[in-house]
Amino acid sequence: MATAGNKSINAKLVLLGDVGAGKSSLVLRFVKDQFVEFQESTIGAAFFSQTLAVNDATVKFEIWDTAGQERYHSLAPMYYRGAAAAVIVFDVTNQASFERAKKWVQELQAQGNPNMVMALAGNKSDLLDARKVTAEEAQTYAQENSLFFMETSAKTAANVKEIFYEIARRLPRVQPTENPTGMVLPDRAMDRAVSASCCA
Amino acid sequence: MTSDSSSSPSSSDTEFADPNPSTDPGTNSERVQSQLESMNLSEPSEVSDGSHTDYGGGDDDDDAPAEVALSNANEGGFTNGRVVREDLAETSGEEGREASLRAEHPVEMEAGEEPPSPTSSGYDGERGSSGGATSTYKADDASEDEIREANGDGDTASQHEAAWLPGKRHVHEDDASISWRKRKKHFFILSNSGKPIYSRYGDEHKLAGFSATLQAIISFVENGGDRVNLVKAGKHQVVFLVKGPIYLVCISCTDETYDYLRGQLDLLYGQMILILTKSIDRCFEKNAKFDMSPLLGGTDAVFSSLVHSFSWNPATFLHAYTCLPIQYALRQAAGTILQEVCASGVLFSLLMCRHKVISLAGAQKASLHPDDLLLLSNFVMSSESFRTSESFSPICLPRYNPQAFLHAYVHFFDDDTYVMLLTTRSEAFYHLKDCRIRIEAVLLKSNILSMVQRSIAEGGMRVEDLPIDRRLRQKASSTNNQGQDTGGPDRLRDISVGTGGPFGLWHFIYRSIYLDQYISSEFSLPVTSHRQQKSLYRAYQKLYASMHDKGLGPHKTQYRRDENYTLLCWVTPDFELYAAFDPLADKAMAIKMCNQVCQRVKDLENEVFLQGASPFSW
Repeated sequence: MATAGNKSINAKLVLLGDVGAGKSSLVLRFVKDQFVEFQESTIGAAFFSQTLAVNDATVKFEIWDTAGQERYHSLAPMYYRGAAAAVIVFDVTNQASFERAKKWVQELQAQGNPNMVMALAGNKSDLLDARKVTAEEAQTYAQENSLFFMETSAKTAANVKEIFYEIARRLPRVQPTENPTGMVLPDRAMDRAVSASCCA
Repeated sequence: MTSDSSSSPSSSDTEFADPNPSTDPGTNSERVQSQLESMNLSEPSEVSDGSHTDYGGGDDDDDAPAEVALSNANEGGFTNGRVVREDLAETSGEEGREASLRAEHPVEMEAGEEPPSPTSSGYDGERGSSGGATSTYKADDASEDEIREANGDGDTASQHEAAWLPGKRHVHEDDASISWRKRKKHFFILSNSGKPIYSRYGDEHKLAGFSATLQAIISFVENGGDRVNLVKAGKHQVVFLVKGPIYLVCISCTDETYDYLRGQLDLLYGQMILILTKSIDRCFEKNAKFDMSPLLGGTDAVFSSLVHSFSWNPATFLHAYTCLPIQYALRQAAGTILQEVCASGVLFSLLMCRHKVISLAGAQKASLHPDDLLLLSNFVMSSESFRTSESFSPICLPRYNPQAFLHAYVHFFDDDTYVMLLTTRSEAFYHLKDCRIRIEAVLLKSNILSMVQRSIAEGGMRVEDLPIDRRLRQKASSTNNQGQDTGGPDRLRDISVGTGGPFGLWHFIYRSIYLDQYISSEFSLPVTSHRQQKSLYRAYQKLYASMHDKGLGPHKTQYRRDENYTLLCWVTPDFELYAAFDPLADKAMAIKMCNQVCQRVKDLENEVFLQGASPFSW
């Protein structure tokens, strides 16, 4: 998470969103250019890294693909603290996942890094017939909350690279020095906090 | 069962020879043989009894409905699902006592013999619900013929041979489905307010009524200051386990022992704790009607894989773990780096190959229970997500500390081999990642990963490879010659003794008590199909249960013969040996073979066991 003179940027990126929105599918399409129709539920969080070259810099993303399951919600701060970017993913065929995405945005606005680049991804855009959330609705919401919005499809790869490139372009070129390990930790012991609040 | 089971109490210390290389194995086994031969042996005719169907069939993992396996049982006790429902409904009501008596088994309760009082209040409501259910039984009766036909089609050998796939099956079913009622083994987890949490078959939400019935039974007995552990209804056993606000129930007609079924419920509960910790209890304190099932979202594969392992993984009843056979030096090399990693602040570090341990290490004074290891490897192996990249996930080890989460770093080096690093620190990801890189470097340098693949390909110990004492062979051929004079059945022996290992040895499991580890031989002819293997495990489970029976035991030896196997069990303070022979195997030879197996395992112990794993020496 530090900017170096040679314009090489390390950026921690976190994906948040409801169960089945397609977070893992987006990452796997981006990192490995793979897609499986029935992606298994993520356990905890999966870590990936991927390097992108944009015009003026090389950006190395350290990606945390978090689990959307309810029991992991209380763990999310562990992954988004200190993140330079977040992709909040919803499923355009599922209204509830859009509502859940709005909650994530609120939480990040309240708790996250204030300079965080936030992207809203309306995934599964290939499922035209099943669409429940219109692009206009999501676009309006994104503008109101100063996020940028893209409709993506991990299946067809539409806009997947684009959304990550756009994040890379928007990352601040001069960043405050951060914890070199890339994770800023809460003072309290997380393991206790997790067990206490998993069902709250 | 119907077999000859002669078990001698702890007095007979010298019965089996200690497989010590310094003593002459010949004289030792002679002594053992004479001891065992003095016990009564049943005639084969005594054994062939219709009630023995459990070894023949008994497949509850696949789609096989109960009836298929029971096809040679009497017609009367059929439509198992219905029997359960009837008895469950009735025992919850006024006829509780009569219902269970009709089934020739009293309701067994831990304390106090009295069944729930028929005049107790709150009973009318229950009758109402059971009345509702009765109408559906009639629907079943009407369509019985149709069901039987469908079953005949469904049960093909290929289905049983097919590779087991993880994940939940038959989600469309509920307690009104005929197919659901015919499943041979159900598992339920529910809350003490009757809310369904997990069901092996069917959709939990559709089973709300059924869960409420189970809850009613448990709380009815609890209200009387008592506890219900087991209800027997014909061929079915209903086993209950209460863990604070969580109720676990197994309904089974698989003829497994009560102790083992209860042990399975314990493991199921442990798996749930591994995912959520015991702090879920507090959610129920805050809100008794708390709906827990969403918290287990996406874990169906974990539970179904655990339930599947009850029928193939001996670790589930031996409470021991098993190692991948590998050269001693390689295991040492892996152990050294794992130990170094633990010294840098990691609680447990494990190098695993599928469900088998390659090596493991723990921080000082930290010990890992074999059951935790089983649940952990089941969790990782059944969750596809761990294979895509590095993962960092909270998990709880129920035997280590059921209250708190640990953080697990999991990385697969290839399809089979993976490392798990457990820590208490949630911020340790990058440290654990570095540790993994160090471990990987050692594995590559010492070529362990390709040796692991080779070990998988070669498999473990085989009964065919056991060295045969020439004197034994001569003796065997002389017994066979004698047999030929008497004709029929003994000629069979000539042929069948040739299959499997020497002298009809088919399979064995050796458990080292000191190491908490076991080694099981590879399955070989004639125990080749999944169904046969499962049936052998069931036989072992019974043997294990009878050897460890708290009321009668502990026992030292047991020799048991039925139409499927000759089983021999030998328990010493150092190890337990379970061996299965051809049912017509010669008893004296079988005993000698057991001594040879123990000798062989001792010879190979550096390759098949993890030696000196400090966290396990407790």
